[in-house]
Parts: sequence; structure tokens; C-alpha cells
Amino acid sequence: MTMKPTKFQVKLYTSAGEIELEKLVPVFHRWIREKKIPDELLIDVADYAHVPQGPGVVLIGHQSDYYLDVADDRPGLLYSRKRGFDGDFQTGIEDAFRRALRACQLLESEADLGFSFATDEVLFRVQDRLAAPNDDATYDAYKGPLEKAAGSFFGGSASLERIGSSRDPFAVRIATGANGSVGDALARR
Amino acid sequence: MTSWKEQLGERIPDRLGGEVDLFEGQIELKKEGKIDDKIFAETRLRRGVYGQRYDNGLRDDGTGQQPLRFPCGDLTKGPDTVWDAPGMMRIKIPFGKLSAEQLDTLAELAEEYSDSILHVTTRQDIQLHFVHIEDTPDMMRRLAAVGITTREACGNSVRNVTACEYAGVCSTQAFDVTPYANAITQFLLGHPDVQDFGRKFKIAFSGCEDNPCGLVTFHDLGAVAQVRDGKRGFRVVVGGGLGAVPVKAKVLAEFCPEEELLPLAQAVARVFARLGEKQSRARARIKFLVQKVGIDEFKELVAQERKTLRPDPRWTAFLDDLHVTDEQPVRDPGPIPSDAPASFQAWAKHNLRPQAQEGYYVAIVKMPLGDFTSTQSRTLSDLARQYTGDSIRCTVEQNLAFRWLSGADAIAFYQALDALNLAEAGAGTITDMTSCPGTDTCKLGISASRGLTGELRKRLEVIKNDLPPPVEALRIKASGCFNSCGQHHAADIGFTGVSRQVGGRKVPHFNLVLGGQWTQNAKSYGLVVGAVPSKNIPKAVELITAHYMENREGDESFQAFIARVGKKDFRKVLAPIQKPPSYEEDPSYYSDWGDPREYNIGDIGVGECAGEIVPFVEFGLQEAEQQLHDAQDALEAGQAATAAAGGFKAMVTAAKALVRHLDVQVKDDADDVVTNFKTHLHDTQLFHDPFAKGKFATYLLKMHADKSYENANDEIAHRTLDESQLFIEAAHSCYQRLTESAAAAAE
Repeated sequence: MTMKPTKFQVKLYTSAGEIELEKLVPVFHRWIREKKIPDELLIDVADYAHVPQGPGVVLIGHQSDYYLDVADDRPGLLYSRKRGFDGDFQTGIEDAFRRALRACQLLESEADLGFSFATDEVLFRVQDRLAAPNDDATYDAYKGPLEKAAGSFFGGSASLERIGSSRDPFAVRIATGANGSVGDALARR
Repeated sequence: MTSWKEQLGERIPDRLGGEVDLFEGQIELKKEGKIDDKIFAETRLRRGVYGQRYDNGLRDDGTGQQPLRFPCGDLTKGPDTVWDAPGMMRIKIPFGKLSAEQLDTLAELAEEYSDSILHVTTRQDIQLHFVHIEDTPDMMRRLAAVGITTREACGNSVRNVTACEYAGVCSTQAFDVTPYANAITQFLLGHPDVQDFGRKFKIAFSGCEDNPCGLVTFHDLGAVAQVRDGKRGFRVVVGGGLGAVPVKAKVLAEFCPEEELLPLAQAVARVFARLGEKQSRARARIKFLVQKVGIDEFKELVAQERKTLRPDPRWTAFLDDLHVTDEQPVRDPGPIPSDAPASFQAWAKHNLRPQAQEGYYVAIVKMPLGDFTSTQSRTLSDLARQYTGDSIRCTVEQNLAFRWLSGADAIAFYQALDALNLAEAGAGTITDMTSCPGTDTCKLGISASRGLTGELRKRLEVIKNDLPPPVEALRIKASGCFNSCGQHHAADIGFTGVSRQVGGRKVPHFNLVLGGQWTQNAKSYGLVVGAVPSKNIPKAVELITAHYMENREGDESFQAFIARVGKKDFRKVLAPIQKPPSYEEDPSYYSDWGDPREYNIGDIGVGECAGEIVPFVEFGLQEAEQQLHDAQDALEAGQAATAAAGGFKAMVTAAKALVRHLDVQVKDDADDVVTNFKTHLHDTQLFHDPFAKGKFATYLLKMHADKSYENANDEIAHRTLDESQLFIEAAHSCYQRLTESAAAAAE
């Protein structure tokens, strides 16, 4: 197994607010125009609102994509790093957490959406079956760094559970034990 | 393991592995600046690595074009194509046939390299979007390991060979065309005789004449199964195509014996490679060659070529085992339980079709806009393993077909789909729309075809249970531009994206194409009725279907109804919604469905000078459209020569409007108009379309030179009107470009 800080995905779930995916489309287009995420190249918006339990609406970037994802009927912000991270493994995980939280905070600031995000649960995935197959060895390698990252953003001690089968991407459900806001989590760092 | 190449090892067939290694090497050479842009572009296209919108590094954000500053700097992957820009990977699935294992791999690729969406195309391919070129070699290796190649998925080559999704299980087929489609796929893949085409080449197979699934009529080469005196063979047609000018294929051979199918295809390919147009892309499809030389001469050329071919054992080797593509059911046949719940029955009405083999069914899983997720994909592959075996087929209507479903399992299968949110009823009905990618991702898209069909889906879902059966049975298909990837010409109600200039701003529109025939292998194409603002299209569908229901006679079909009342009648129905409100009255008309940006560039100023000229040129273009409509009426009335002359006259009127827009004095005389048009708009390239270049201007120049509109028959009249329509569209586009240039100069 190769410990590469790429292809990480972090999802935080919405805690309140009716999800009307079509409202996301103009918001994401505006984010591109206003360069709302200044350290990333944002390119386009992909609207998959017609796909049930799908990726929802996606803000396509060069380094990363940001989804308002409705998979499993559990809407949330899914940050997905595709390429271009220059740093070590632990920093790579924490950077993914930070970018996901920052996007949640941006969405919460969009008054028309009425979103808020919970911080008690985080889904972490690695979309790279070669470097990170969904097995015990990968889990052993990621457990410590994930606990450390969760602790640094959410405080306390996190509880981790590997989910999915060997056909699925490596995925860990993290119960953070936190009940603060995304702003609190970002402020902690 | 450090790489997929190492990980997959011997699972990658040597030949495919070698090809991928070569492509990966070419990527490196391109990065080092050692391969020319054009050559590399064709190289990657022939590997299925396609461009996508904004890959020139510019994107209009609704306020103007903005540069996309990719980290690659000046590195390109083709002319005006930025290296880092996301692209599309087209994955060829011959005749749409997928195994469960292949579906699993596609799901992995979708989530690791794309956005977790698998998209079924109208050519039974799977497309993944927002893919980086440097990921493509590994994608190809992982596909090769499960028997899939992307070779020749794009580019000037033989594209994915398509066939009915019911082949082999259909009760009306002459015989199963699958092994023949497989044989021609394998034979022509990488064949030296198909490497030097001027344009792409599309092949389709149909098991019978009457059902639509194969759609051979609009293919470069089509084969319809036939049995004569107990011997298998095909009626072979050639030179069909949709695109800007739809043409029905002509009969090349009334009966081609099965052992002659591959050599005949090879001979056609060699004639096309030798004599097909190479300089002008716009006239490089084989349909233009067939038109140019005539079908009789073309037949003779093919016959002569056939005689020169050196015998190839592959021509007949496949006939020794025509069962190679047979599918094995995994469950015993059985009847559908009689106590099926009402929801199942509603789904089964359109989504379940009995096979020729008693006790088995084909289940159509309706994919919204052809999209499904990687997670759904994995569950679908599990369902295939459990219920149907490796017998999944992508369909040309952007769905998945699961064959060999035992009636006894049908309810359980339906319930499993329902749990996946994929048990949408109404396959092949008005709610099952087809759409090309349009402006969502396609570089050539003019209007948001997916946005439109998404909106129509939402609205029709609400009222679907109240739709009268004749309306429910209609098919809607949308293309984002004249290239017709949505196959709208063969729909009852078809749309093709166009834009219009209104008060100095652009407004997205769709041209309505009514009365195309999907059945009998897409027997006839619809004709354009007129352009309607995108935002009024849902209303247009409402008006058209209401008009049909209120005025149809007895069991009259939609095509028969249109043939009787004429398109002129529909134009009256649509007239009240064809003019958009001004921007000040309702700015929503100035953006497209699903895209809040102001349509195209919103910073066009209306100068005082333009303010005087605009009404004049718009008047001229409007007059041209009216003349075209009159010509279409004449064609409907059976007056082919009058129609063709009217189509030419409409082109001259549009050309005259543009020439005068340039302040050039011109007489009301076709010769003078054409001469001035050539000098001031064609030779200067002002009329050139950014992608089609001089194609549309050529329609006028050629028609003026050869006077083909005089004494035209039905076929020539149809073609004249199609070309006239496209010329007028191009005139609108040209006028928009001139307006923008004037505004930019004024600033």
C-alpha cells in the first residue's frame, strides 16, 4: 500500500434546511465568478439533481471538486481532492478536512440556501483502489492519522468505523463526538 | 504494487497493453513538445480521449469571457486545447453489451477519475466526464483487463458498432445479429483500411425491418437481417446520417450473404478512404460521397473494389461459431406471478417485454438523461449476477436493458430497482427523453439540451398519469446543436439548439422538428417547424400535444396527423410563443435551462449605429425564414420543385440581408447577391462558423452554381430545405458575431 495524500474525500452532513438542489446551481456559478475559493481553480458546475441519491450538484475544479451530494438520502458537502497536493500524508488529510469545513462555512453563509452542517459525523474516503484498497491494512495505516486530524478539528477522541466492502472505495465513518459548528471546528485550527 | 500496469499484469491482453503503453509514451512526448498538436489531437481522439467545453482555457461566466488559468501553462493537447482542461472519455461498448464485471470496472473509473456518474450515449457507449488526460492510460488498462478498448471511440474511424438491444431474444428478428456485429467490430478495429477516412464512420445492425431498434437508416453503413431460401444474409444500406443535413441511407445490396458481409464492409471502407472528401470536414462523411457519385456508381465502385481484395480468413472464420456471443440465463424460466402489485404492473407496462424464449423477459431500466451513479452501478451488477447473467445492454435511448429475466423473478427484480430509485416506469414513452450533452459539456453545444429535457422530465412526471395514451406514446429527443447527437430528426417531437439575437442580446432557442419516425428503423425524418425561445419550449410541448388531441381523427398517429394538417398548422399554434419578451420585461428568457448565467456574453453594447442597422438586417432574416416556411408548405403539398426554389430564394434573402448589413450595395438579383456574398462574407471568412468553417456558405454557392433546385424531386427538395435552414441559422450566427465585433470596436 502506498500512502499518498491524494484522492481524499471528506463529507459533512447537513443538519437543517430543506435541500433544494436547483438553488445550488446559481450559487456555485457565482462562486466561480467571484473566485470564492481563492486558492483553487474553479471551472464549471455539473447539475445531477435528476439522479436520485446521486452526486447532486457539483462545483468542478482543477485540484478538487465540491459536491452537494445526496447519496444514501443523506445530503452533505463532499469535498473531493483530485490532484495537485504538495505535502505529507498527515497534512494532506488535514487539508482535506479544512477545505471541506471551509466549503460548509461558505454554504452556511448563503442565506437563501438556509443550510447548516453538523460536525458530529464525518465520512472519509480514498478514491484510489490501488493505493488504498478497502481492507484492514489500509484501515490500520489510516486510523492514527484520521484520529489525529479529527481530534485537531473537533476535539475529544473520535470513534472510527471502516465501512463498505472490498469493491467499494476505502471509507471510514468518523463519529467525532463534537456538537459545535463548522466555524468552531475551523477556529480550533 | 505501485502501478495499475503492474497490478493487472497478465490480465491486460498483450495487444491492448502495448497500445496503451504507446499512448502513454505519446503523452510524455507531447509534454516534451515532440509531437505536433494536430497529430496528438487525432491520436488521443482515436483512443476515446475527447475534448470538453471550455478546454480552450476560456469560460464565459455570464459577465464576459474569463481565462481559466490552469497550472500547465502553455502546454496543449491539441489546437486551442489546454492540457489540464477536463475532458471526456468515451468508452466503446460494442452493440452495448456489458458484463457484470465490466460494469463494476466502469463504476470504479467513474468514481476515481470522473464525478461518479456513468452516462449512456445514443451510440450505446459509456461516457465519463471531467477526466484529466494523464489519468487516461490507467483507465484504459483497467478497461483492457475486463475486455474493453477505447480504441477508435472517437476520431476519423469506425465508431462503436450498434445493434438492437433485443438482438437474440426478439420475436420479430430474422436471426440474432449479435455475432455479426461482434465479427465486424473485431475485423475493422485497427484494420489498415479504416485508418485513412476523412471523417467518422458509423455502423448499425438490425434484426428486422419493422422495429426501430437498429436505426440503420441514419447510419453510414447499416445491415438488416434477412433469410432467403433458408440462407442468412443482410439488406445492406449505405450513406445515411443525421448531422446538419439528415440523409436516409440507400440500398447497397438487397441481399448480401452472411459470408460476404465483412468483405463488403471492407470494400466500402476502401472506397470511402480513397474517394471520400479529405479537405473539407463538412462534406467528408460517406453520405456526401454517395450523393456525389450516385448510388449506382457507388455500387459499381464497391463491386470493383471487392474484386481486388485479397481473401482474408477472418471473413468467414466467425461463421464457424455463431454462438460465441450467446448468453446463458442464470435462472429457470417462469411466469410472472399473477398477484403482482399495482406499482409493478405500472412499471412492467412499458419496461418489461417478453422474449422469444418463453418465460424470460427484457427489463428496461430507465436512466434519467442517461445518467446513473457508481453506487447504483455496483448494485446493478449484483442484480445481473443474481437474476440475468452477463446480458446487460446499453440502449440507444440511453437506458440499460437486462435480458434473460425470468418472469418468476420479475417482481423481486423490480423491487430491487425500486430500492435503488431506478424503477421509473414509462420506458420508451414521452417521459423517457433522449438528449445529447449540449452546452453542459459539449464544445459545440448551442443550447442546453440536458437542461431542457431535465425541465420537461420534471413537468411531465407530475402529469404523467393523466396523459392520454396517444400523447404518452410520443418520443421527445433533443440535440444541443445541428450535429444531431440527440437523434432529434427521428423523434415525434425533436429539438435542436439555436440562438437568436433580440435587442442586442442573445436568446437561447430550440428549433422544433415534428413528425420524425422512430419506427421501421427511423423510416422518415421530421422537418423544422420554427424556433421557439428555450423558456417557452415546455409551453410549446403543451400546445402541440393539446392540438394533436383536440384535432386527431380516430386512432390517427402523430405522424399521420402532421401529414394531414401540415406543419403550417403547427406554426399557427406556436406563433404566440415564438417571440421572447424584452430583457427588461423578463430577463429569465436570456439564460438557458439549468444555467443561470446570461446566455453567451452579456456585455454586448447596442451602439447607435447598430441601433439603426439592426432592424433592417433582422427584417431580412425574418423574411428569409418566412420564405423557408412557405417552401416547407409547398413540399408538404407535394410541390417539390416549388419548394426547392423557395428554399434557394430564402438563402439568397438571408445572404442579401447580411451583405447589406456590411453597407455593400446589392441588387435584388440572385447572381449579384451571391457574387457579393462570396466576396464580402465567404472569402473574408466572416460567414465562417467557428467549427463548421465554410460549410454553410458552400450550400448557397454550390446551389447557385449547379442550379440543383430547378426541377427538383422530393429528395433534392428535402435536402435543399435542410441546407436552407442551416444557412439561415448560420446567417443568424454571423449577424451575432458582426454585432459583437461592432460593439467591441465601439468600446
